[in-house]
Amino acid sequence: MLVTLILLVPFVTGLLVFVLRWGPWIGRLMSASALAVLAMGITLSVTTSSHAPLTSLHGALRADALSSFMVVVIGVVSLLAALQTTRAMNHEILSGTTQRQASSYSVLFQVFVTCMLAAVLAANLGVMWIAVEATTISTTFLVNHRRSEKSFEAAWKYVILCSVGIALAFLGTVLIYFAALHAGNGSHSVATLDWTSLMKVAPRLDPGVVRLALAILVLGYGTKVGLAPMHSWLPDAHGQAPAPISALMSGVLLTVAFYALLRFKAIADIALGINFPRYLFIVVGLASLLVASAMLIAQRDYKRMLAYSSVEHMGLLTLGAAAGGPLAIAAVLLHVLGHGMTKSVLFLASGEIHHDEGTTAIAQVNSLIARRPMLGGIFGVAMLSLLGFPPFSLFVSELNMARAELDAGLWWVVLISLGCLGVIFASMASHARSMLLGPSAVPASNDAPRSVVVPLVGALLACAVIGVSSWPLLSLLHDAAKVLLP
Amino acid sequence: MNSSSYIAALEISGGAVLVFALLTLWRRDVKANVRMLRLQGVSLACVAGVLALHQHDLGLAVTAVLVLSVKGFVAPELLHRVVRRDPRSRETAPLVNVPASLVTAAALIVISYAVSTKIIALAPSPPTRLVPIGVATILVGYFMLVTRRRAVSQIIGLLLVDNGIALVTFLLTAGVPLIVELGASLDVLLVVVVLQVLLANMRERLGTTDLDQLRELRD
Amino acid sequence: MILAATSLVYSIGTSLLQLVLLTLGAPVLLGVMDKLRARAEGRRGASVLQPLRDIRKLMSKQRLRAHFSSAVLPVAPIVLLVATVVAIAIAPLASTQPLLAPSADIYVIVYLLLTGSIALALAGLDAGTAFGGMGSSRAMTISALAEPALLVAVLALSIQAGTSNVPTIISRTLANPTMLSSPTRLLALVAILIVVIAETGRIPVDNPSTHLELTMIHEAMILEYSGADLGLVSIASAMRLGLLFALVANLFVPWGIATDTSIGGLAMGVVWLAVKTSVIGVGVSFMEVHRAKLRLFRVPELLAGGFVLSILAVVTGLVTR
Repeated sequence: MLVTLILLVPFVTGLLVFVLRWGPWIGRLMSASALAVLAMGITLSVTTSSHAPLTSLHGALRADALSSFMVVVIGVVSLLAALQTTRAMNHEILSGTTQRQASSYSVLFQVFVTCMLAAVLAANLGVMWIAVEATTISTTFLVNHRRSEKSFEAAWKYVILCSVGIALAFLGTVLIYFAALHAGNGSHSVATLDWTSLMKVAPRLDPGVVRLALAILVLGYGTKVGLAPMHSWLPDAHGQAPAPISALMSGVLLTVAFYALLRFKAIADIALGINFPRYLFIVVGLASLLVASAMLIAQRDYKRMLAYSSVEHMGLLTLGAAAGGPLAIAAVLLHVLGHGMTKSVLFLASGEIHHDEGTTAIAQVNSLIARRPMLGGIFGVAMLSLLGFPPFSLFVSELNMARAELDAGLWWVVLISLGCLGVIFASMASHARSMLLGPSAVPASNDAPRSVVVPLVGALLACAVIGVSSWPLLSLLHDAAKVLLP
Repeated sequence: MNSSSYIAALEISGGAVLVFALLTLWRRDVKANVRMLRLQGVSLACVAGVLALHQHDLGLAVTAVLVLSVKGFVAPELLHRVVRRDPRSRETAPLVNVPASLVTAAALIVISYAVSTKIIALAPSPPTRLVPIGVATILVGYFMLVTRRRAVSQIIGLLLVDNGIALVTFLLTAGVPLIVELGASLDVLLVVVVLQVLLANMRERLGTTDLDQLRELRD
Repeated sequence: MILAATSLVYSIGTSLLQLVLLTLGAPVLLGVMDKLRARAEGRRGASVLQPLRDIRKLMSKQRLRAHFSSAVLPVAPIVLLVATVVAIAIAPLASTQPLLAPSADIYVIVYLLLTGSIALALAGLDAGTAFGGMGSSRAMTISALAEPALLVAVLALSIQAGTSNVPTIISRTLANPTMLSSPTRLLALVAILIVVIAETGRIPVDNPSTHLELTMIHEAMILEYSGADLGLVSIASAMRLGLLFALVANLFVPWGIATDTSIGGLAMGVVWLAVKTSVIGVGVSFMEVHRAKLRLFRVPELLAGGFVLSILAVVTGLVTR
């Protein structure tokens, strides 16, 4: 019941928004819905970490510790994004979009969130695929919200690339289904894409087919995750979408697709042994890190800078998943949460900066801290968090992922990724410095209002608290990691 | 349906899917390409229908009807409307000339044969033996997507990839569970609708659907 | 011993019969095609025997050779003719047992025909004139695409039949007619038809009835020939066309060909051969009426299409074997 409710709340809110049209209080309604999802997600996590997974709708929906954790992440990030919706839409309306676009924005926002929740709660990997594909469809018009030439280009690239990628993911899913169909000696074979039964037959799946399937799945879902070399839609889409949508896409959409990959990797690990999945993940992970570090050095646009940083973090997640094992998976999940919160704070703050400064060029923004201390401060602190400074949680998770990689004997991977992280650190720090520091001729004014400051500061504080003491999450993370282990 | 005519029907309708994919690569005329796409959708539905008849599978028969309506009629019809409204983009402008793309397609066909050996080895049966044809359709679609700069041609490439995947699905597993198939067909339809609306907006605002005009987002 | 001698005599007889048939029949086939085309265009057209008469007249005329031409110019028509004659002698046209049937490998026949093409292309270059060189270059451009397509299509046929010996392919097809409706055979048929149209210089690749410098291919190559040389080239080209049509007919509609060593069977084989080949000829000339010639730079597209289809034929042949 709880599981169904998690899907119903954002969906019904979406219907309400559709009927009621755009109004200043719509943002509050959406925030309430996101808050409810977050609360239910936490309840669900507590329930599933101590008990068996919950199922609902005749087993179509299934929530284990991993799904519940993802629900929490989606809840947190969508809450942050929903809280900024009213303000972001008012900005967009000022710069020329219509009220109608604002209403369709809010409806699609809710659909988008519902689809992501459905993806993580689906018991059947085929249904999960449908939900992930539906996220592409629902976000196209969100990316194209401004209807400018640039946003058309971004939206077009986004739909075409992600649709093709996701189509490939379907092929991979079908191959897994085919392998399951022919697992064992006929009498034991089960025609299924259901997660639990797939995990049961996993040891008997044909290695040749699973190997091909995993490679195709990495290519397919990897497009949606934004792993290099399939990442080219990501900076465009993130750069053109309204700030809350960029926050949602970067904060959770990428990791929802990554969640799908994690599920398939767990099956492949059993069917193939860990080596093939590990090296496959290492290759794409390192490629993403290298691409991100190369593109960040001379980046001129701060929204695109944040997007490339997402490519980097997805690469880190992939490397963590490659290491495998309980510690690595727990660290990966913690990283998912930390990155989701930090990146959405950054995107929301950059939305404010964009509105105030009228540009997304790094070179044209300067001495932000002197002119708008709150906004500049939030952006700066969030940058520190993103770059992996203690006490924020990304520091803890990156450290633990590196530890897990070392334990797995992948010291060379750690070495290369440290090199890339060094480059990324230097370039992003210098970009941030040129935006934030420096004296200003005009006195501080026109700073971000409390409605912006409170949630963002809250999210950063939460990151710090989790970083300092991960006690509220520790058992939860380990339970979630256990789901993926045989 | 006896076994040899079943195999022959399967081979011919499966082969037709790939032949129509190649024909879309061959013809420059976008209208003709949409027609090829329609015929390809019909052939795909034939594959599903033949399998359904042979295995007496009601779910698969429903799928066949679904495929026929979505991929044989609705999606091509939507594309046809786009083409009709945009007389300037009647000819595709391939980045790679036609003979070279056809030769590449030949190479892709060979590659797909090599890729599929593992799959065929797991369960050798008349349908699985035809899997390379589906894989080749996917690759040809990909190639079209990468080398064509007209918006409509890219949609056609996307649909070719999709049809190829559907063909592989039918041949390998006689269709995934009906619910997944329903969702997948709906998704394809929605993607086409979304792209069509996007194109209509693009034409309205920018007066073109030539993707070469859109080159602002660069690093 | 007697049996062997009988079959040898039969084989020699078959080969000779095929030669005579094509030497006389191929020009008539050309005449029929021209006549049909003329009628379809509303003209009366020349008699169907006109090509034969032309050739006879040419053979009695004096040769004129270009100043700086070498030995290639006079030798090329002979090479072309000999290659074609050998190919006709060993190909199973009226019966599956002509002379040297065991060595009537499909690749042998293809390469014999190609030898002729190369001789002709060299001859086009020999005189050093602009048109000849242009024709040769165009012909070779087309051949460069047509030959791989042909070879691969032929490979598909041999994969399907399990042999590359043409008489065996034909008799196996007769024994198992479902082979004809397989995608491999159909795809190979389309590919081979495209190649045959290109190699025989018919519309939409080349227009045999024009001497327009912008488009001509075959006619440009043989522009330097006159008299008996031209006669040889013309008869050889006609025989080539007849042989290709007959081979296509036998590979894809094998019924009617003689498989035993009886005289009656051979007679029926001859009649069926004439019928099948003329049907193809009629089909081609209808297409020539209704289709426009392709622009020269579009021809590679057509041939590349043929190539892809033949590759596809091979792959389906491999997967459905």
